[in-house]
Amino acid sequence: MDHLFLLVWHAFLVAVFFAFLWRSERRDQVLLFLKTFLIMVVGGVLAGWLMYPFP
Amino acid sequence: MTKKTQKKHEESSPPAPLALLGAAWLVPGLGHLILGKRIRAGVFFGVIAAGFLTGILLSGEVGVPSVDNPFSWLSTLACAGNGVLYIIRLIWVNGLGGLLSNLPLGLEGGGDPVAAGFGYGKTFLITAGLMNLLAVLDVSDIARGAKS
Repeated sequence: MDHLFLLVWHAFLVAVFFAFLWRSERRDQVLLFLKTFLIMVVGGVLAGWLMYPFP
Repeated sequence: MTKKTQKKHEESSPPAPLALLGAAWLVPGLGHLILGKRIRAGVFFGVIAAGFLTGILLSGEVGVPSVDNPFSWLSTLACAGNGVLYIIRLIWVNGLGGLLSNLPLGLEGGGDPVAAGFGYGKTFLITAGLMNLLAVLDVSDIARGAKS
């Protein structure tokens, strides 16, 4: 089981959902998708690294 | 329409029909389909079904209420948001007879607590359910004219 893949897959589903829920224009949807997706993936990886020293 | 008049319009508009909201909850995307939002309906169904299936394939457990664990009620509410997918999973795990006879506190949620993907699976199941509940609220807004 690839943890990173699951993180990316989860972020993809959530980002697509909110892009279509909150935006109606195609360009706005793409922008919100990219923003949400990147925040979730990069934020998830960063949070993982920050928790690394903890037992 | 200015914000003020739009707010007045929202306040005076009648609530969305319960049957519409029920349909939107039962089958992800159906509420949007009924309202003529075909693309949004397809995307919502695809995303929510994919999330739910991923959760099941990862051996996640759907939320079922338990007396010992008050938080189980929250995960039940979230997972029940999946509508018919949640009901099918409960029937799959408990059997139809078991489901009816063990309601509400004796149900099994399925999944494998020892599996590596158990926690992730549950996260996917909860996320899918919460997304569908947000989709139901969106259907309500569209039906009331508060959103296009």
